[in-house]
Amino acid sequence: MASAFQTALIALLLTAAAGVGSACAQTAAQAAVPAAPAPETVDTSLSPECRVPGSKLYTLAPLRSVKRALKESRAIHVLAIGSSSTVGIGATSPASAYPVRLEGELEKLFPGIEIEVTNRGLSGEIAAGAAERIRNTIAEVEPDLVIWQVGTNDALARVDVDSFAQGLDETIKWIQSHRIDVVLVDPQYTASLARDDYYGRIVKTIQEVAGRDRVPLVLRYEAMRWLASQKGSGMLARDQFHLNDLGYRCMAEHVARAITLAVVEPEAGASGAGAPATGATAAVPAQ
Amino acid sequence: MREPNAIDFWRGLALVTIFVNHMPGNVFEPFMYSRYTVSDATELFVFLAGWSLALATSQDPPSHVVLRLASRVVEVYRAQLVITALAFAMIAAAALWFDNPLLLEWHGAGAFFNAPIPSIIGWVALTYQLGYFNILPLYVVLLMLAPVFILIARISRWAALAASFALYAACLVFEVTLPSWPAEGAWNYNPLAWQFLLVLGFVGAEWARESPAFRAWAWRLMPLGALGVALGLVAYFTDWKPDPLVVPEPRLVFIMDKPFFSPLRLLHFLALALAFQRLFRFIRPRLGWITRQLTALGRNSLAVFSVGSLASLGGQLLRFFTGGGIIVDAFALSIGLGIMIFTAWFVEWRQRSKRPSSLSS
Repeated sequence: MASAFQTALIALLLTAAAGVGSACAQTAAQAAVPAAPAPETVDTSLSPECRVPGSKLYTLAPLRSVKRALKESRAIHVLAIGSSSTVGIGATSPASAYPVRLEGELEKLFPGIEIEVTNRGLSGEIAAGAAERIRNTIAEVEPDLVIWQVGTNDALARVDVDSFAQGLDETIKWIQSHRIDVVLVDPQYTASLARDDYYGRIVKTIQEVAGRDRVPLVLRYEAMRWLASQKGSGMLARDQFHLNDLGYRCMAEHVARAITLAVVEPEAGASGAGAPATGATAAVPAQ
Repeated sequence: MREPNAIDFWRGLALVTIFVNHMPGNVFEPFMYSRYTVSDATELFVFLAGWSLALATSQDPPSHVVLRLASRVVEVYRAQLVITALAFAMIAAAALWFDNPLLLEWHGAGAFFNAPIPSIIGWVALTYQLGYFNILPLYVVLLMLAPVFILIARISRWAALAASFALYAACLVFEVTLPSWPAEGAWNYNPLAWQFLLVLGFVGAEWARESPAFRAWAWRLMPLGALGVALGLVAYFTDWKPDPLVVPEPRLVFIMDKPFFSPLRLLHFLALALAFQRLFRFIRPRLGWITRQLTALGRNSLAVFSVGSLASLGGQLLRFFTGGGIIVDAFALSIGLGIMIFTAWFVEWRQRSKRPSSLSS
């Protein structure tokens, strides 16, 4: 595991040093995938119905604490927060429980490493006071990694986009200041909001803040939009409301994959002073 | 029907504040006092609940105390079940009507729609609470705990306070709380911590009634209260808050935490109570209509709270579908307040007309 991990790390360091800018990084990451063993194993772990060929699944940035934990071969404590994380272990059929799936996916991807997922729902908007709650929950759980599914509550409450961005940025910076990693997951796609300008701005704001603060972001909105457009393929129920179950399952897989890729993501300092502020963009190779 | 009094007035204000704050992002939020304070309307509500328990039970023999509170528990519990059912239905109807599954995740309702089997158990056991629908479960448990402290206070008020404080302190030190289920986590308001404020309200009311020295000291300490309120304002404007990963253990003693009613919130609320203890006397002759409306809301707080919770959910849905803005917010606010005022009137009308609808049963 360790040597494969190091090989992948070196491969990515080299390619990232060559290409600066998101377009270059995208080709670089694609080129690196066949050579790097770790992402190769990851790829097969995505269920066929969760693969999103050609479209962006996540933006990446390094995860230092997870990497440290992996190097020390100790258990990784993950805190999952967000509105669809509220159904915990034993609450529903294993097929749709996101935290259960996430734990399973991560254990599959990091064999031999114990993964502990703690799960907390998020009631309230980060722009309106939930930030305090997030901090207190993080202090209580003391995780290595926070997977934060963000934006749904704020988007539904139509809070001011700027105060949402500010609250998100402050909370991420606070988490980072305590050497805890963050992975963001943006809100889900639904057809009825596809043309909603405000909803689009919330999704975009999350991307901007994730890029600025260098945190990996799972582009659930993009992935689900693609999946929703594949209705004819028989992989999805025609009923809009069944997208949820699949959404949870694919979210777990996408998050797990983003984490494994982010772990081998080069450090900002290591790739030189001219490193772009935004994370490199990885694309899933076509099936 | 009670004359307008300070308790009903402040409780009415708490109800209006909760209604407005439960439509997050609306343009009237900055006009709510709770925006600028460390504590908020929940503290006001719980403290006044304790205060009015003292008034309601002062003449009761012990068995009546228990029975009176038991019947109140039934009323509040019933209200919680009903408003949660209506909230599920409102969310489901909105999701269907607007073809938007995102809405089903709102306020944690997703658990109910995705996993109804455990969720319905959690719903009736009060361990499953929708966001913004978590004050009544707190109140149910507080009312269940209340007889113990009221009866201890009959022997010694200090003993009741000491027992209550011991439980509160134990919660903070050992992080004791009630679990939520099926969702992982804890109650949004930890009743074992919040009971201390209820008991403070209860004992405070008894002392205020019987002890001139207590009343004199409360008034003398008014400037200290004003100072506390001012410090709260400074904390708000400088965005000061203790960092929960930096504070010493036991962490909950030092941070600002709403579920555990952390000490900073307690101190701030006591400062508010001291600072504004006589404000009602000043307001009453000057703002007659507002005083009458707020006290009417406060007199019928359970019904008004229940209807107000649903009105704020309706307001949130309206804001979502229209995109909000000052006109929508003003509309939602006026309709919501109108419904709350009507509810208060309607409950009292039913009492006055001796509930004709129940004559047949």
